[in-house]
Amino acid sequence: MVPDSGVPTADPLLKLLPTDSRDRGTQRCRLGPSALRALRVRLGAALTVNLPDGGSCICTAWPRRDLSDGFVQLDPGCASPGAATGPWGAGRSIRLSGLRAVPCPPLRSVTVWPVLREPPAPGGASVLEAAQELLRNRPVGVCSVLMAPPGAAGPVAAVHVLGGDPRPEPAGLVTPRTRVELGEPSAPPAPDPPAETTLGGLAEAAAALRELLRLPHLHARALAALDVCVPRGLLLVGPPGVGKTQLVRAVAREARARLLAVSGPELQGSRPGETEENVRLVFARARELAQRGPALLFIDELDALCPRRGGPRGAPESRAVAQVLTLMDGVGSERRVLLVAATNRPDALDPALRRPGRLDREIIIGTPTLMQRKDILQVITSKMPVSPNVDLLHLAEMTTGYVGADLTALCREAAMQAMRHPGKNSENPVIDAADFFEAFKKIQPSSFRSFIGLTDVKPVSWEQIGGLEDVKLKLKQSVEWPLKFPREFARMGLNPPKGILLYGPPGCAKTTLVRAVATSCHCSFASVSAADLFSPFIGDSEKVLAQVFRQARANTPAIVFLDEIDSMLGSRSISKAENGIQERVLSVLLNELDGVGLKTIERRGNKLRLQDNCEEQREDEEELEFQEVFNQNVMIIAATNRPDVLDDALLRPGRLDKLIYIPPPDQKDRLSILKICTKNTPLDSDVSLENLAAKTSFFSGADLGNLCKEAALRALEENGLEASTVSQEHFLKSLETIKPSLRHQDLTLCEGFQKQEFSSLENL
Amino acid sequence: MSPREPLPAVQEVLKKVFCVVQHQHGLWRSTVSDCSPLLTSLSNLAEQLQASQNVQLEETPLRAFPDLKDCLRRKLLAAGDAILDQLGEKLTSLLQVRDTISSHVEQVFELYEQKADELDLDVVLQPSAVSPSLADMLAWLQDIDRHFRNSYLERKYLLSQIQWGNLPNIQTLPQAWDRISENDQDFVQDILLSVSFFLET
Repeated sequence: MVPDSGVPTADPLLKLLPTDSRDRGTQRCRLGPSALRALRVRLGAALTVNLPDGGSCICTAWPRRDLSDGFVQLDPGCASPGAATGPWGAGRSIRLSGLRAVPCPPLRSVTVWPVLREPPAPGGASVLEAAQELLRNRPVGVCSVLMAPPGAAGPVAAVHVLGGDPRPEPAGLVTPRTRVELGEPSAPPAPDPPAETTLGGLAEAAAALRELLRLPHLHARALAALDVCVPRGLLLVGPPGVGKTQLVRAVAREARARLLAVSGPELQGSRPGETEENVRLVFARARELAQRGPALLFIDELDALCPRRGGPRGAPESRAVAQVLTLMDGVGSERRVLLVAATNRPDALDPALRRPGRLDREIIIGTPTLMQRKDILQVITSKMPVSPNVDLLHLAEMTTGYVGADLTALCREAAMQAMRHPGKNSENPVIDAADFFEAFKKIQPSSFRSFIGLTDVKPVSWEQIGGLEDVKLKLKQSVEWPLKFPREFARMGLNPPKGILLYGPPGCAKTTLVRAVATSCHCSFASVSAADLFSPFIGDSEKVLAQVFRQARANTPAIVFLDEIDSMLGSRSISKAENGIQERVLSVLLNELDGVGLKTIERRGNKLRLQDNCEEQREDEEELEFQEVFNQNVMIIAATNRPDVLDDALLRPGRLDKLIYIPPPDQKDRLSILKICTKNTPLDSDVSLENLAAKTSFFSGADLGNLCKEAALRALEENGLEASTVSQEHFLKSLETIKPSLRHQDLTLCEGFQKQEFSSLENL
Repeated sequence: MSPREPLPAVQEVLKKVFCVVQHQHGLWRSTVSDCSPLLTSLSNLAEQLQASQNVQLEETPLRAFPDLKDCLRRKLLAAGDAILDQLGEKLTSLLQVRDTISSHVEQVFELYEQKADELDLDVVLQPSAVSPSLADMLAWLQDIDRHFRNSYLERKYLLSQIQWGNLPNIQTLPQAWDRISENDQDFVQDILLSVSFFLET
């Protein structure tokens, strides 16, 4: 080669231009003369090029037709797998140092793995011939992928170069005398971990999926002899974040099936007919994959692709749905593709999809139960440095209503917390229980985000409610005990009460009691008021109430609190009005409390599990399982001060089966209420709360609170702002102005109701 | 090769090869156009075969001949096979054209490899008034070689897909064949035009 004078020694930037249409599929790299000189290459010599978006390709060096410098055009026909091979936008460039001349000895033999364009109808010879023709006179490198030029005929779309003799590292030339051999890709390098380590609590769903995937391959002959068509379609239904997508991926990995995952919205095209074409392409690709082993086509968010036909969006949607239906029938007939679709809105799907032959089976994955949550946590924390003081079971108990995604977020947040600890050893951080609790405050379950009636309850302890000892006991009995001692309840043949009605005159701590209940038992708590329910649209109120219950059931154990229930619900037995909205709400409530059953999509937990490995289960796990099943219902607590206007149907056992009368405070109760109310008030020594308690008959708890406030204000008023204590006198003066809010007739009403209840019991 | 100036030596060989290409290209085109009537008759036969399958002979006066349908089918298939044989021969001659061109192109590149060290890059890149640059001509030869190989492969693949079970496919054969010809009509011709001066000097 002639000594090259005047070549800049710097590393010039070569502007990347689009490939000339003539050079397409030729693997040429067109360079200017000075670049060719700098590289010291002859025409057609092999170059490796580092592409601007990562990856590299092997090209042959050719001069540009116009002999201008500073530009590069290349056809990345033979690139490293996964390299982004353009088309590159304007303004990309390659440094000259990214081009490297490599020796390219002729190869005696080369082993390739052909990627077929479509199901290979002709025999192996034509594949071999096509591969030979594709490779002829080209420099190739080991582990690179040689793409057939667009528009070329033949069954081969691309070949993966697996090896050769001599090994084409970095490059080797395939000559007409090179022997081309077809090979299979080597097994994936690392053995995949078994599914159990990556899936928590989805064992049942995974087993069903695995069976469908493996059955036709394990028992092909038996199935053929029986002339059975194996179900080829599966619908996964569940709320967002429970792990539908992950389940499919894990099972496919475990069964070593080829997975083709698309999401419904991805397939949507803007032009008419584009969606259908995309769908066809995807199915064709899946069938191609199925030629080489078990294949799984996974369509995520199917509801976006196949909504109900005849909807407002009209013909384009219907065409796409019809295309999916047709292709599904095709898939079921002879190919071995398993179609798995996932959705969280099964009702939005076209009904024609949900029949045997298309989506044969439906697997419902609900919000995880306590056991499942424990499993999931175990899986997530298995790779985390968790300190031994973390009790996963306790965490699982706390995380009612959390789905897999929420639990992952929780653990991530806990890890973040652990990192933020200032004093801790940053070399090997350990996540302890405090971190988890801190994270727990921040991460709210995703199912709660759209939860109607979700309230931040101001924590109230039982001690903060004066008096009412037997009421408190009753409440604890009916709410806390079933949650805490399910086994004892079951032993005595007790079912936890479905609903509790608290009734009593206003201001007697009904709502506060409920708050205390919500504080003391860790469960989902939804408080629904008339404001949440009523809406100007017909049918909306009923829907909202039903939704409240649906959400609560997804997050059991749960308490739904209906305050002022008399205003929400009408009474069919008393008012003879038209079929008003209140009556309809009442009927919804009655149904939710004691209906025939649950909707199928609300199914949770795994049923097979109990039958499968009963013997292996340890005692405490059984206990947990038991507790879980026992707590699978929602408790409602209603409060009213007009129990007489409630519908009779609501008050029968099985619905609001526990009626608790909250009486106005008697003298003893009033004393304890006053003590609580004046806990933070400095009292004079002459103040006699006993005396006050005696004088305040017909005062409700709220009245007593008001009295204390008024007395304190009066003290400030009289003694100026420097007042330090409240004296008995202040109380007495306030007592003159404040009238009790309870009236005798109220009390007789409530008490009368109570007696009536008892007498009706006696009559039976 | 005599130890002459490297450039004229390579140019001489190039000239020879381009002449061969010109000649072989003519052969190729005539062979390809010879195939068209054959394919048309094949498609006609397929149409007849389909028609004979569809017709209900029992409802025509021809029902007196019991084996008519089978006989007809046999005859049509025999005619089809004869045409396929002829097509096979044509394909063989196309293969010969392809191989001739390939071997010549290969020779040119071998010669260039030998002389490459003696040839200065400027000499290789610089076109003259009558001849395109050496680099261009080499690239064209490579293109021509690849073109014939692809075209042959495409035609062979097309013919290999002929199955008597798939009659509609056979009926579309002439169009498919012509489409391949259309795609590559001018490609070789253009290159030959570019080197026409060079060949005459």
